[in-house]
Amino acid sequence: MSLRRSEAQALVKTALKAATLADVRVRITSSRSGNLRFAGNAPTTAGEVERLDVSVTATRDQASATVSGTTRDAPGVIALVRRAEALAALAPKDPEHMPPLGPQTYLRVDAEDPAVVKLGPDERSDAVARVLKVARDAKLVASGLYEHVHKSMSFGTSAGLFAYHADTTVTLTTTCRTSDGSGSGWGGAMSHRLADLDATAVARRAADKAEMTRGTAPALAPGAYTVVLEAQAVADLLGFLIGSLGARAADEGRSFFSRPGGNALGEALFGPQIRVYSDPQDPAHPSTPVGTDGLPLTKTTWIDQGKLLALTTPRWWAQKQGRAPVPAPRSVFMAGGTADVSGLVRGVQSGVLVTRLWYNRMLDPRQILATGLTRDGTFKIDAGKLAGAVKNMRYNESPVTLLKQALALGKPERVVDEGGTIYVVPPIVVEGFHFASVSDAV
Amino acid sequence: MPSTRRAFLAATTAATAGLVWPHREAWAGPAPARVPAPASAPASADAGARMLAMSPLLRDEPLAQLAVDAARKAGASYVDARLVAWQREQISVRDDHVSDVGLRTDYGLGVRVLADGAWGFAATQRLDSKSVGDAARSAVSMARRSALLMPEPISLVATPVVRGAWVSPMQQDPFAVPMADKAGLLLAAARVAMAIKGVAHVDATILGVREEKLLITSEGSRVHQIFHRVLPGLTATAIDRRRGRFVTRDHEVAPMLAGYEHVTAADLVGQAPVIADEALQKLHAAPVVPGKKQVILAPSNLWLTIHESIGHSTELDRALGWEANFAGTSFLTPDKRGKLKIGSERVQITADRTQPGGLATTAWDDEAVAAQRWAIVEDGVFVGWQTTRDLAAAVGDTSSRGCLYADGYGSVAFPRMPNVSLQPGAEGYTTEDLINATDDGILISGRGSWSIDQQRYNFQFGGQFFWEIKKGRLTRPLRDVAYQANTVEFWSSCDMLGGAASYRLGGTISDGKGEPSQSNAVSHGCPPARFTVNVINTSTNTGSGT
Repeated sequence: MSLRRSEAQALVKTALKAATLADVRVRITSSRSGNLRFAGNAPTTAGEVERLDVSVTATRDQASATVSGTTRDAPGVIALVRRAEALAALAPKDPEHMPPLGPQTYLRVDAEDPAVVKLGPDERSDAVARVLKVARDAKLVASGLYEHVHKSMSFGTSAGLFAYHADTTVTLTTTCRTSDGSGSGWGGAMSHRLADLDATAVARRAADKAEMTRGTAPALAPGAYTVVLEAQAVADLLGFLIGSLGARAADEGRSFFSRPGGNALGEALFGPQIRVYSDPQDPAHPSTPVGTDGLPLTKTTWIDQGKLLALTTPRWWAQKQGRAPVPAPRSVFMAGGTADVSGLVRGVQSGVLVTRLWYNRMLDPRQILATGLTRDGTFKIDAGKLAGAVKNMRYNESPVTLLKQALALGKPERVVDEGGTIYVVPPIVVEGFHFASVSDAV
Repeated sequence: MPSTRRAFLAATTAATAGLVWPHREAWAGPAPARVPAPASAPASADAGARMLAMSPLLRDEPLAQLAVDAARKAGASYVDARLVAWQREQISVRDDHVSDVGLRTDYGLGVRVLADGAWGFAATQRLDSKSVGDAARSAVSMARRSALLMPEPISLVATPVVRGAWVSPMQQDPFAVPMADKAGLLLAAARVAMAIKGVAHVDATILGVREEKLLITSEGSRVHQIFHRVLPGLTATAIDRRRGRFVTRDHEVAPMLAGYEHVTAADLVGQAPVIADEALQKLHAAPVVPGKKQVILAPSNLWLTIHESIGHSTELDRALGWEANFAGTSFLTPDKRGKLKIGSERVQITADRTQPGGLATTAWDDEAVAAQRWAIVEDGVFVGWQTTRDLAAAVGDTSSRGCLYADGYGSVAFPRMPNVSLQPGAEGYTTEDLINATDDGILISGRGSWSIDQQRYNFQFGGQFFWEIKKGRLTRPLRDVAYQANTVEFWSSCDMLGGAASYRLGGTISDGKGEPSQSNAVSHGCPPARFTVNVINTSTNTGSGT
């Protein structure tokens, strides 16, 4: 079990009571997770892990130090406080240190599903068995991961703040490959609710794509194409833009959003249909209402009608600039339409369908230009129909292009994230999307 | 300021002598070579022996034994229990002030079992006999449940039973250096760099890592090891607001399995004006003209290309499809060992977990298999896999290469990369020799953006600094350079290698792999080498330049 509110609050209280400095902050994260990995149509490794981290930051005269450890008893926590205070006494001053926050009001969020909390080896094994059945019936080779996490985060300050959030996540991803290695397809699902995860449906998506990509795929010439990006691929690319939303980098001239003497807030940078927002209370996809430093996360609109409306602003920078602080988002929702991927494909005369993107890296932060490759299902589109698989390709492209040159937006869906930020985004048809070279990888 | 070719060479060779492959006698302890594996390890240096004797893990050793016994009693055919403690001390400076001081520790026990031919794993940070016993039994029940879905059981190749202890050699314990001294060093380096007109920001950091583990197996092996790794860093940012351009320039120092002496040798204060000046040069450099070109890759750039194109493609678990869902598979399949030519005849690539300074250097791996050195590529032909006990058994090998590793108590051990290095050329060439022999090319150093496909064919790498080469001379700095190539074409185009004196170690302490994702520390040594690649201009997405 991850720590309950009462246990966490008692530990935080113990730490703060033991503190001798006026500014001490305690953060406790705890989790219980379980996983079952599989490859070659059989389980490979399985695990159950309990983690705990108690982190104490002590500050004296603007000089801070953080000490953390895996301890849950009072003497252990008090020892962490002593070490943090001793280290703070030796640390140089940080003029950007902000005083601790007092009590805050947070949005009510229910992100714990008791069914996920109770998951064990039998349920993991049953879910994987469903995936393996789909793969074996189709004479395909499946690999993947079934994982569930129950975690909690508590944060307290010597100024009287106490915040707590707990959530559950269950994830299934699978890659099905043809036994000759010529075809590969991927499917994945992630939710805080067990009932949202349909293992058979996830496996079928992967299996269908593996079948569709079987055989020798022709290569397209590198260049600009009209591309249908599935939601997963959209999130893979959009993450670079969300990660570039820092106000300080923009104000200091180190970002795509920099302007001479300021930043791009208020500018219509993207297509008029583009709306991107965060919402901790979204009923289907709840996320933490507690930000770094204990700042409340609220519903925030980042882009509306193509206009940039907000940049993430830490407390010190906000104070210096005379603005309100804006914590970084933990959920990203992009508004879309009603069409599914096949509906979007029907509207494309000539183009490429991309399932997901891989090994994505920033190339040039001035343009948020990223590079990476297509993977596990790349198809040619002719006259509104899929016209066979093509070889995977490297893209050199910016999410800015995606939001500027989108021709159509489909129905938003939750994708599988790795960074702990929820993405609910539509599949998108974009024109002028650049592929730089061809890859032989399947 | 190194605006000339000669000054550049001075800055990247002599001035960074601390990055040179350390001479054996410079190390406090004996080198960890273990070929063939002895039944017990040679004694560590005195300081190491003291460190081992004072270890708090010894207090909890009975719990590790309890985990092994409990899992055996529950029916496991093989068990290993690891007590693992990590300490990470980081101090960071931004411009004129300290931005982060942290000492983070992480400690617990992980137990891995083989039962009914399937793996199970459980981990806890609650170090009491009930929690540990429960974890062991739960790992066995997981394995048994998995076994029902397995057509064939897992088997392990045999390995000698070992009892030993080892501490990675170092001269100065990074955790013993006062925080105030580290802060003073970083603030001084930042001050020097900020004094160069046009530099807008400086970030500097020192990360010290201590990894300690005590492994007990049901076969009777017991291995106690302590590793110290350090990573100094310095980055200057230059901004041209009028033209809306900005660049960063990183010190090219590599993380190392070493003590604080490696931080001292990086000479952050002495190098700060060079880094700062080079940031300005990058800001005002000429855009690269794309096309097929010869590139000379400095060790500070080439190590990552080795890592991605050769290191990952020769992991046997990838070739067998065990990582197909995330990291991917490999263009090298099990049948290609000893047959496929993947590079020119001068390409000799060696895996080595005994290499002094190597981040993946160890005495034994996480299933008590002794560290080894073996060939991966010989005369351009792929000849060797990276293996573990279960992988070796899966392809009919009789012993493991010792590549099993877990990144903490809460992670299940699985195949991770050893140090994989390109051997220097016999001609003894210097970097200057390579430049002099190049008519039209680019000298690329440092780590930039990197990306490679899931079977390790197509890759694209950037760098930190780019010098144009015309008629055997460095002419001017270039910007917006990346190179694109296919692994086999790239290594086949390798036509010149630096000699042993130009060999350096690069590396990373955060190589990601696996699900749930784990991090590995690994080094790659190489001399500068020349290749023919497709150079692109990254200021436009067409790659054709501005």
